[in-house]
Amino acid sequence: MNRSDVLIELDQVNKSFGAFQVLKGISLSVKDGEAVCIIGPSGSGKSTILRCINGLIPIDSGSIRVGTHAVHKMKTEKEMRPLRHQVSMVFQQYNLFPHRTALQNVMMAPIQVLGHDPKEVEVRARRLLAKVRLSEKADSYPGQLSGGQQQRVAIARALAMEPQVILFDEVTAALDPETVKEVLTAIRELVDEGLTCILVTHEMKFAREVADRVCFTDHGRIVESGPPAQIFDAPQDPRTREFLGQVL
Amino acid sequence: MFNLDYSWLADPVYQGWLIRGTLTTIELAFASSAISFVIGLFGALALTLRIAWLDAFIELFVEVFRNTPPLLQMLFFYFTLSTIGLRVTDPATGVSVPLLSAFACALISLSLFGGALCIEAFRSGLDSLPRAVTEAARSLGYSRWQRFRRIEAPIASRICLPALTNIMTNQFKTTSQASVITVPELMYYAGQIYNDTFRTAEVMILVLFIYVSLVSLLSWGMVRIERALAFPGYGRAH
Repeated sequence: MNRSDVLIELDQVNKSFGAFQVLKGISLSVKDGEAVCIIGPSGSGKSTILRCINGLIPIDSGSIRVGTHAVHKMKTEKEMRPLRHQVSMVFQQYNLFPHRTALQNVMMAPIQVLGHDPKEVEVRARRLLAKVRLSEKADSYPGQLSGGQQQRVAIARALAMEPQVILFDEVTAALDPETVKEVLTAIRELVDEGLTCILVTHEMKFAREVADRVCFTDHGRIVESGPPAQIFDAPQDPRTREFLGQVL
Repeated sequence: MFNLDYSWLADPVYQGWLIRGTLTTIELAFASSAISFVIGLFGALALTLRIAWLDAFIELFVEVFRNTPPLLQMLFFYFTLSTIGLRVTDPATGVSVPLLSAFACALISLSLFGGALCIEAFRSGLDSLPRAVTEAARSLGYSRWQRFRRIEAPIASRICLPALTNIMTNQFKTTSQASVITVPELMYYAGQIYNDTFRTAEVMILVLFIYVSLVSLLSWGMVRIERALAFPGYGRAH
C-alpha cells in the first residue's frame, strides 16, 4: 500500500469507559477513495471507532491521523473544526435538527460553521436533496418525514460539508425493511463516486457488495480484515465464522 | 344588594392615576420578564459548562430567590441598597438621595426572582434535549457557543415556553407587591383612590378587571407565540 494514499490511520488505539475497555489496540488504515465496512457483534466497539475518528470521543492512548490532522492531539472543539469539515458523520437515529426544515438542516452548518455564501449553499443543498431524491420534501420538518427520508436528509447534510470522508454509524438499523433499500442506494452511489466511506453496518449483503474491505471486530479488537469475498466466504478466525454463522 | 358608586371615575385626576399606574405595571412586568429571560438563558448555559464553583453559585442563587417571598426580597433591596451607601447627592438641591429609585429596586428584585425561576425552566428544557442533537452539532463542527445559540437554545426554549408563560403571568401579578415600596403602579394608585373616595369595593372590582384583562391578553399572546414557533414532532403543532 502506498503510504501517501492513506487518508485515515489508527495505530494501537485504546479506549475505556470507566472499567470497561471498549477498544483494545485498534489499528486500521483507510486509503483515499476506499469503502471499509466494520461488522461485528453489538458492544464490540464499532461505533466507538467511528466516534474516535472524528474526535467525538477522546482516546486514552495510541494515535489517530486523518489527512494532516493528528486527532489524538486535539483538545478543544475549536481545534477540531477543520477535522470536522473533512470528516462528516451519519447517525443511526438520523439526529436531524427538529426545529429546521430539511433544506435548512442541509444548509445550516456550511453557512454557520464554514461561513460559506448562503446563496451558493442553497444551490448546493437543493442539488444534494435532488441527489437523495427528496427535492419535493425540502420544506418539510424532520417530524413530517419517514425514517428513511430523514436518513437521506442526514446524508445530504453530511455531504453539504464537502467532506473527504463520511462515517456511517449503523444508518439503517432504525429503519423499516422497506426503507432500508432507499438509504443503501444513496450510499452506494457515494461509494461508486469514490468518496471515502467507513460504514458500521449489520447489512451483510450490502457490505459484501459495496465494501473494498471488511473488518470484523469482537471485544474491542479487529479480529480479521480483508476483501469481502475472503471474510464472507473463507473466514480464517473461528470467531468470525461463529458470528457470520449466526447472522447470515 | 350592592350599591356601587363609580361617579369618582369621572374625575380626570383618578383617570390619570389609573392610566399611569397601569402603564407602570406593564412596564415593570415586561422589563423584569425580559431581564429574567436573559438571566435564565445565561444561567442555564453556565450550568451546562459543568464548572463546580459556578454550579454552586447558581444553585445558591436559585435557592435563595426561589424560596423566599418576593415581597421580602423587594423590601430587602429597597432598604439595604440605600442604607449600604448607594446614595448620590442631588446637585440641584444638595440633598442626599438613594441612587436607585423604588422602581429600580422593584425591577432588580423581580428580575432576580423571575431569573431564578427561568434558570430552572431553561435548564429543564436543555435537559430534555435529545443527546443525539448535540452530537450531530458537534460532528458538524459547531463550537460550544454556536451550538447553544443555533441549536440547543432554539429547541429548548420551545420546549419550556409553557413554563415561561407561567413565570411571566406570575411576574405580572407579583408587580402589585411593589406598591409596598411606593412604586406608583396600579395597586399603589388604587390605594390612593380608595383612601380618597372610600369606595374600596368599587376600586378593587375595577382593578381586578384590569388585571384579568391584561394577564389574559398576555397569556393569549404567549399561546400565539407558542403556536407560531412550534415545529412538527414537538408539542401539539400541526
